[in-house]
Amino acid sequence: MKLYDYVLSPSCYKVRLMAALAGVKLDIWPVDFHPGAEHRGPELMALNPAGSIPIFEDGDLVLTESSAMLVYLAAKAAQQWLGNDTAMPAARVQQWLSFSHRLTASLGAARLHEMLLRPGNIDALRGQGTVALRELEAGLIEQRIRGQNFLASDRPTVADIACFPYVALAPDGGVSLDPYPAIRLWSRAVRSLDGFIEMPGIHRLHELKPEPGPEGGEA
Amino acid sequence: MPAQSPAGRVALWRGRSGRVSAFADRCPHRGMRLSHGFVRGETLSCIYHGWGYAQAGNCVRIPAHPALTPPETVRVATQHVEDGGGIIWISAGEPTGGPPRFEGLAPVRSMTVEAGIVALEEATGTSIAGGLLDYTNADTSVRLLLAPESPARTLMHVLIDEDSNPDERITASRAAEALRRAAEHIERGGTGR
Amino acid sequence: MTRNAMMDEWYPVGLVSQLDAHGRSTALMGEPIEVKRGDDGTATVARSDGRHLPVCIRYGHVWSSLGDPQKPLFAIPEADQPGRRLVDVGVVRVRCSPLRAVENFLDIAHFPFVHTDILGSEPHTEVQNYKVEIREDEDEVWATQVRFYQPQAAKSAEGGITTEYMYRVPAPTCSILYKTCPPRPGEWDVITLFVQPLAEDLCDVWPWMALFDDETPMTDLIHFQQTIFVQDRSILENQIPGLLPLDPGMEIPTRADLTSVAYRRWLKRHGYTYGAQLVAQ
Ligand SMILES: N[C@H](CCC(=O)N[C@@H](CS)C(=O)NCC(=O)O)C(=O)O
Ligand code: FES
Ligand SMILES: [Fe+2]
Repeated sequence: MKLYDYVLSPSCYKVRLMAALAGVKLDIWPVDFHPGAEHRGPELMALNPAGSIPIFEDGDLVLTESSAMLVYLAAKAAQQWLGNDTAMPAARVQQWLSFSHRLTASLGAARLHEMLLRPGNIDALRGQGTVALRELEAGLIEQRIRGQNFLASDRPTVADIACFPYVALAPDGGVSLDPYPAIRLWSRAVRSLDGFIEMPGIHRLHELKPEPGPEGGEA
Repeated sequence: MPAQSPAGRVALWRGRSGRVSAFADRCPHRGMRLSHGFVRGETLSCIYHGWGYAQAGNCVRIPAHPALTPPETVRVATQHVEDGGGIIWISAGEPTGGPPRFEGLAPVRSMTVEAGIVALEEATGTSIAGGLLDYTNADTSVRLLLAPESPARTLMHVLIDEDSNPDERITASRAAEALRRAAEHIERGGTGR
Repeated sequence: MTRNAMMDEWYPVGLVSQLDAHGRSTALMGEPIEVKRGDDGTATVARSDGRHLPVCIRYGHVWSSLGDPQKPLFAIPEADQPGRRLVDVGVVRVRCSPLRAVENFLDIAHFPFVHTDILGSEPHTEVQNYKVEIREDEDEVWATQVRFYQPQAAKSAEGGITTEYMYRVPAPTCSILYKTCPPRPGEWDVITLFVQPLAEDLCDVWPWMALFDDETPMTDLIHFQQTIFVQDRSILENQIPGLLPLDPGMEIPTRADLTSVAYRRWLKRHGYTYGAQLVAQ
């Protein structure tokens, strides 16, 4: 399984994260997205005319939407992540997978504008991002009231992985996460999962490791 | 987690024992916000260089110098906090008594409203006394505890009868969302209901 | 107020490789500027009133100045050494003081917490004593014999090693670090941080490298450095106050911060205060 990848892309990170959680090894093919704009070059445009990354290949299968990649990885190697055993969580997974594209278009675009100098109407992007964050916060509050800590059920699913990166990186685009306590708890729950990996801008939860001994030596 | 108090931004944190503390949200070393830090045991550590602070605010660990006992002068300002029935209270000065108790009520959620108290009063058609507002919308009654963060921003805690079932709590959360939309509409210059 | 000493310095304003006739609209210390390739193929930098600014092409970047540079751009002799690969890492914008960005670059104590498992890791947090001086002849800040244990010091490093560093600040918003070069003992890899001050609390950062590494693909070298810098970005955007405090009472340094202390002192001495705060507020 081959992933055309960029380290700073939250969409690519979704796929790396899902693969790590599912224990799947990806063949990573780094794309010079910035400053080289290689994703707009002839080779990658031939693979994905939309000119976006990630691009995923497995034999004959070529995928250009990260949500589809998450579902494929889960279906192959970690089916409990599909969350589709009953109608309600199955529908909620689809709800949040679709919703995740609004995060890309708002918080993701705000981040590209603020960090990599991409054009865009920053106030409008932040406004749309805030609307989406409030919806996510409300959804997570309701889930907690139902006794569930993740978006679609009481265990993490592909929906959580689809939403987590752009939300966690919202401050990169100048959108504060301070007003969202339920998002903070959910984000910690995702970051505490076994096999979780980081990306630049999302720091390690150092509290998961014990304090090194007083000698500072090998603990 | 980050929070606001009359004395500025604070980092609120809970040690393993469950005790809550409030620190000024700025590390004395190089100014990093402590609310980005991490808690191990009863110590809050800064994410930048890992300096650790005990609940009293004194620095207990400087990882760059593991053998060094940090001088007493390295400390962060602390504020008095109390955990009262699921609500964390912070006091601006020396508290004269314990925080208020809301017998029979349970917290549902806290939310930030981009509107001031006046807009919230107008949106509910009620006046606010002592930061409290009782609000009923479509059979749902909630008590709102309001903490102004700035003239046009209010932190709103939503409380409900502790015997409420999950459906009623979800309805209360949605009612609070509706109220927020109305208050923010008024704040932006729109008219009331 | 006296004329800001930083006016006469050279600053990076774009990548040479990305220069085109269309131009790049950017800013220098609050002044809007336009960087483009002129009709004769050379780079031009102009203010919005059309007035042309001095231009210098070096180290993969276009450099300019709002004032009248008294000195040529600082030298990096290693940049011309045969066998090095020159890496244009590309711009990253940060909402912080340009001086805070440089100070962070000079700091190693944050490696275990911010660049976890790459440039540092617990329990290897100790910063050994090192040497710091302001070299009067060159008028530069230097830190030498800086050593730190690193899990993955470079893209070309396999496993953890104790890395040796030297740091150099030749201009108020530029720093160069020399670091042990895993494939070539005895030589130093050169990694720079060139900072373009857009405003006192906003900067475009242009990392650049001159490495001995014939193995690693260029894209991986770029991604390694972008990873490191973007890990720093969220720290830089959350330091309070936003401006670098030059008043010694404002922040508490330790021995590990001697480079930062020397840098602040050198800035103050020269009146390099764009992006700094002189008195506690
Ligand atoms: N197809 C979407 C696209 C994701 C996306 O927006 N990717 C960004 C990088 S993070 C991209 O390729 N943008 C193209 C561009 O900005 O030129 C997905 O897989 O979720
Ligand atoms: S800024 Fe907090 S430890 Fe350095
Ligand atoms: Fe760093």
